[in-house]
Formats: sequence, structure tokens, C-alpha cells
Amino acid sequence: MLVAMSETLTNNGYTDDLRYEVFNREFMPHIDSMYNFAFRLTMDEDDANDLVQDTYLKAFRFISSFEQGTNAKAWLFRILKNSFINDYRKKSKEPSKVDYQEVETTYNSEEASDTTYTVDLRADAVQELIGDEVANALNALPVDFRTVIILCDIEGFTYEEMAKILDIPIGTVRSRLHRARNLLKEKLKSYASSMGYDS
Amino acid sequence: MNASLKTPSVTEEAQKQTMKHTCEHHAECMKVIQAILDDEATEAEKDHFRENMDKCIPCIEAYRLEKCIKDSLSSKVQKKPCPQNILNTIISKING
Repeated sequence: MLVAMSETLTNNGYTDDLRYEVFNREFMPHIDSMYNFAFRLTMDEDDANDLVQDTYLKAFRFISSFEQGTNAKAWLFRILKNSFINDYRKKSKEPSKVDYQEVETTYNSEEASDTTYTVDLRADAVQELIGDEVANALNALPVDFRTVIILCDIEGFTYEEMAKILDIPIGTVRSRLHRARNLLKEKLKSYASSMGYDS
Repeated sequence: MNASLKTPSVTEEAQKQTMKHTCEHHAECMKVIQAILDDEATEAEKDHFRENMDKCIPCIEAYRLEKCIKDSLSSKVQKKPCPQNILNTIISKING
């Protein structure tokens, strides 16, 4: 099963002992963040469970390509994101075709990005919202937009780390984040309105 | 005469400069505000922010809103712990 187990020395100077040590020291502390990321991507508990397991097993199998001293959390998030795209997005309950359309429309419409920032939402109204309402607004975004907000605002990655995790240039990180936030404001606005927080 | 006419207009101009009620480059400012809050602003963006932020009401409000949303996302959105059985499965598969 685990072919590399029999080898005493693998690439990058990883001995068997070191593999376990690095796995426990560098990877395991991020398991809660990884689980939450998986859940917010898949929006399904079973899929999130599988995705986290698959990611950690892959991380262990390919640990020799992890350079010690680099950002383990970003490395793990990148594997998880790739597994999500390759294995889960296809069978995801979320209609990805609609997602792409919405993403395309928003990307291509300059008008959209010029008008959405005027969303009439006050900071006080946002302060009134509870965590579930903020989470629901976030979950209502197309997955690509949801992802950049999770990475930046919930997990605290830098733009450079996000660019590596998502395999996109930093300029794209900036613009996608900007548009994601405009969309999020619209969703928050409708929550605030429905709760009567904005009057 | 000239002076008396000029004085109020200078004052008016000064008042206009102290507080702006509209922002002619708000779309740009929004990008700067977000970069500042993300701690990713370039030196030019930081300069723009320092020069404009304290005298532009739409930008001050936008800054408050963006900060509030960012803070809400990091502090209010619930983070669940990873279920113990997943942890156990991972550990047992790796040691198996």
C-alpha cells in the first residue's frame, strides 16, 4: 500500500522517521482549517470528510516534494483545492455550469464592477448580522469567489500565497477578491434588508 | 473689494477641501482600501490612502464597511473542529 514505507531514504533527504515527524509537526496542526475549507468548498459534510482524508493521505505520500521551512498550510491548501477541482467539483451538488456563467458574466462586465460598489450597505447593519447570516451570504457566492474570500479573510493568506494556492497571477487574485467582495456586499445587503437591520 | 470677495471663496474652498461628500475616483479608492485592509498595499497606494482618506466621506464610510465585513468574516463565521473519526482514519491509514 505505502510503497515508500520500505525505503529508508527518500527524495529531499526524508527518512521514514522524518516523514512522520514532519507530517505530525507541520501538517496536523492545520487539520481544522483544512476541514472548514473543504466544507465551505463542497458544502457537504461527507464530501468534506473525504476531501480532507484524501488530501492528508496525498500529502503524506508526496511529502518528499514538501520543502521544509516553507509554508505547510499553503502547500496543503493547494493540494486540497486541486483535489476539489479534479475529484469533487464534477460530482458536486452545486451546479457548476451556472457558476461558470455567473463568473464569466461578472468578469466580463465592467459595468457590474463599477456599479456594485455603490451597494447601499452600512457598517452598522453588518455589525448586527450574526455569524450564520454572514456564513450564508458567503456560501451563496459562486465557488471561485467564495474561495478567495475564505483564503484571504478567514484563513489570512497573503495575495502571494493565494496566487500559489490557486495557480493564478497576483493581479488576478486582487481583481477576483475585489469582485468577490462586491458580490458579498450584495448578499449581505439582502440579509440585512430581510432582517430589517438597514432601516 | 476684491479682498472681501475673495475671502469667503477661499474659506469655502478650504472647507470643501477638508471634507469631500463625493469621491470622483471611488472605484480606485475601493481597491486601495481593500489592499490597505489586507496589508497588501503598495507604497503608492499607501500614499493615496494617507492623502485622501481623512477628507473624503464616501471613502471613510467605505473603509468602515470593508473593515467591518472583514472582521465579521474572521470572527463571526463559525469554525468547526475536524471530526475525530477523520483524524483517526488518517492516522491509522498512514501507520497502516
